[in-house]
Amino acid sequence: MKFLPNRTHATTLLPARTMTLLRNWTLVPGAIAASVLFGNLPSASAAVGDSIVIEAGRIITQAGEDIVDGVIVITDGRITAIGAAADVEKPWDAPVMGGPEFTVFPGFIEAHTNNGMDRPNENLDVTPFLNVRDSIDPVNFFFEDCKRWGITTLNVQQGNNTVVAGNGRVVKPVGVTVEEMTIRPDFGFKISISPKSGKSRATQRQTLNRAFGDLRSDLESQVESAKLDEELAAREALGQGREREAEEGEGRAMTGSGWKVEGLERIKRSEIDEKVLPLLEMVEGRHRTFLYCGAPMDVQTAIDFATENGLLAKATLVLDASCWKAADAIKASGLSVVLDSNMVHIEVDPITEEETETFVPSVFAEKGIPFALSSANSSTNSLWFQAALCVGYGMERTEALAAVTTAPANILGLGDTVGSLEVGKAGNLLLLSGDPLDMTSWVEFTIIDGVKIYDRSKDVRNRHLLYGVEPRGTLAIESTASETPSKIEVDGEVTEEAKGEPVEEVAEEPIEEVVEETTKKD
Amino acid sequence: MKTIFSLSAFVLVAPLTAFADSPQIVGDAPAAPIEASAPVEAAPVKFVISADAIYTAAGEMIEGGTVVISGTTIAAVTPGGESGEVGLHVAAITPGFVELSPRINLADYSVEESGEIMPTMRATSSMDLYDKRWERLLNSGTTTVLISPTAEDVVGGLTSVLKTGGDPTVEARVVLADATLAGSFGSHASRGNHAVFGRPTDHFSRRPTTRMGTEWSQRKAFYDTLAAIGNVDRQFAGWDIMESVLNGERPYIVQASATQDIRTAIYLKEEFGIPNMVVDAAAEAWREPGLLVRSGMAVILPPFDAQGRTAIDNGFLAWNSAKLLDDLEVPFALSSHGSASLNGRLSMQAGYAIRGGLSFEDALAAVTITPARLAGVDSRVGSIEVGKDADLVLWSGEPFAATSRIVGVVLNGELVTK
Repeated sequence: MKFLPNRTHATTLLPARTMTLLRNWTLVPGAIAASVLFGNLPSASAAVGDSIVIEAGRIITQAGEDIVDGVIVITDGRITAIGAAADVEKPWDAPVMGGPEFTVFPGFIEAHTNNGMDRPNENLDVTPFLNVRDSIDPVNFFFEDCKRWGITTLNVQQGNNTVVAGNGRVVKPVGVTVEEMTIRPDFGFKISISPKSGKSRATQRQTLNRAFGDLRSDLESQVESAKLDEELAAREALGQGREREAEEGEGRAMTGSGWKVEGLERIKRSEIDEKVLPLLEMVEGRHRTFLYCGAPMDVQTAIDFATENGLLAKATLVLDASCWKAADAIKASGLSVVLDSNMVHIEVDPITEEETETFVPSVFAEKGIPFALSSANSSTNSLWFQAALCVGYGMERTEALAAVTTAPANILGLGDTVGSLEVGKAGNLLLLSGDPLDMTSWVEFTIIDGVKIYDRSKDVRNRHLLYGVEPRGTLAIESTASETPSKIEVDGEVTEEAKGEPVEEVAEEPIEEVVEETTKKD
Repeated sequence: MKTIFSLSAFVLVAPLTAFADSPQIVGDAPAAPIEASAPVEAAPVKFVISADAIYTAAGEMIEGGTVVISGTTIAAVTPGGESGEVGLHVAAITPGFVELSPRINLADYSVEESGEIMPTMRATSSMDLYDKRWERLLNSGTTTVLISPTAEDVVGGLTSVLKTGGDPTVEARVVLADATLAGSFGSHASRGNHAVFGRPTDHFSRRPTTRMGTEWSQRKAFYDTLAAIGNVDRQFAGWDIMESVLNGERPYIVQASATQDIRTAIYLKEEFGIPNMVVDAAAEAWREPGLLVRSGMAVILPPFDAQGRTAIDNGFLAWNSAKLLDDLEVPFALSSHGSASLNGRLSMQAGYAIRGGLSFEDALAAVTITPARLAGVDSRVGSIEVGKDADLVLWSGEPFAATSRIVGVVLNGELVTK
């Protein structure tokens, strides 16, 4: 909790927010509740007692059957009612969004990303004392894109080019400060089993072992010297003819499933070097770890390493596409995985040059290994596309959709909070113009904690991308593609279609008014 | 027919029959001729594929029909099944895709550095037909490609239309040799050239060093061609190929991505009255709808990008560009620039165009019959019609949907499955 003073400062300045936090207290599992208290500042617009009603022709809940003509009520950022329109009582004074033309889907969840930081990696090998908090840029374009593509929860971890990276963070893509964005601060550590650039696998493994081995031997010698100090003090007390006062409750015995240093209770935790303290906490099983494997050969090493050091219970493998080959070992370890955005692994025979293609997610689906998909392709940049490709390669639709919602939520330990639309869960959802896997569907609205944080009709950049309109809106921005070309001159003469409304009149129409027409607001 | 080099006479045998009237060939002539090898005369194998939907790109979709293949060509396309004979059943069939901008030979970086006006160069001469990318393209549904020289020269040379599979020889794969002439606008042609001043003088001390220089070189080449027609003294290597562009016998495909380059290309077309001209990688075509319509220019769009920016001259490609061109009735083809990856392949480009507002039928045409027409090979490929080559893409579901997969490709009547 290095940044505790800052956060305390922020919360004392904003008592209203603290109240909101306290209300959310019960929804957060106990172990990390304390850190959530100081980190999870819901977006400012989620005022106390606020409700919003979402109507949709179809609600895909990711928790059972779809709801036709459904209604969702979100109060104070949480879903308080969901069901068919006839069964749900709507608060009379709550604003209503959506309509029968919309499909509602839970916000997508990115189980692991290196985006949104000013730079994803440190030069130092072992840096568990660093925190991505200091690197996340709230106005990074990536977070804007997340809203646009409907990604509402992201786990930001340092890059794979590391040995032991700094502390990660689960965020939502909304807010002007990192605190405002944060869902879970100080969440997880990236550990790379594959060599960072300039290292061989042997030196990578050695650096990794040394990080934890040095910790162990340092703690052991600290315990030894504490024992000697204690004996000395006892002898001194004996020599002076007085009873030695026992020091009580200062240290804590080591826990966890990995190696243990006996007698660690003799050492105050504050006496342990804070640069390696997070490593000790990892060994004690108190942190999630994301173990990057860049090749199948790294997978068993990762599993062994996690077992030796007590990380196994809270570890997730971040895999290169080639690692499907180690699927059996992963299955045996019981670990969950985050798959690479490149989902097709092409193996080239070294002699014949024959190419063999493997669609990676299918391998994990068939073996029953929990997996999450990653976004990051140059053409669509989103998780819906990845899930759609999985369906194309024969995966069950429900499983493909789970890999971008409930599966990543579970990997992040947020399965009770996000990933599906159920009473008590966060009001994170998307209003789509059609089915989530349909090429022609768009995210029309993104809702996070019951607050509308994205509206496509107001998204000037999206309009520019789609219609090629300059960002200032010099053309008829509300027009559909088919209307756009009608306002041009051909060979100096205005075409038939163009004889209607002059361009200028449309251009002068304020954007806001156009938006109101297209948004249901009753 | 008077010829100077015996080689030239040889060249004129088949692929250049269109120039049999040409009075003379001067200078370095194209290398060995490319001639399609005669199909092997064997008893044609009959092969029947049925599908829930056949999208022919030549009229209405056929619901629940069969395609009968005999040998290398399509023998029949019929509604209803031919029970008992069906070899394969799939959800949907589309024609094999035609890619006009595959850039498959560009990685070899076969740039002719000796000059800028090289109409006699042939892209096929530098191709590696054992390159794995051919197979990848084929498996991604692209059965026919137009192979062009790089855009590093002002006039790069002759292109050819090839199949992406079959015996790895140009003769076996060629659909139309010397199909079009390739040219370039924008920054690429001047790249690497420099002015003579202040540097050691070498063969890169030449025009063009700017976009203006590229335009100048283009215009000079065509004025030289006009001067060469009927004047032996003014004839240069490949002037007759340039002439074939001027008289519309051969399309002129020029790379022009940024708005100003597209405008320059259009002005060239209008100045010389080039009847049959196409702008390739024309990302910013959407900015010049009026000029495109006025000039009758055809367009090849580069692949779509999430941020709208394309690799060539940083052109901005609006996602609804295809829809816009379709509304303007500008003939256009989509292209993948040779990507066979799941998100970059040509079929996905059609999907993105649909996302940008284009109708399914028009997206299908933009990857099949329209590019076939632009390259002059629509009599053989680009649609599912009796007598055409049996090049088919077999789908697991609705074509171009992200949730559909290409389950097989038929090339020249042979099933390729990956």
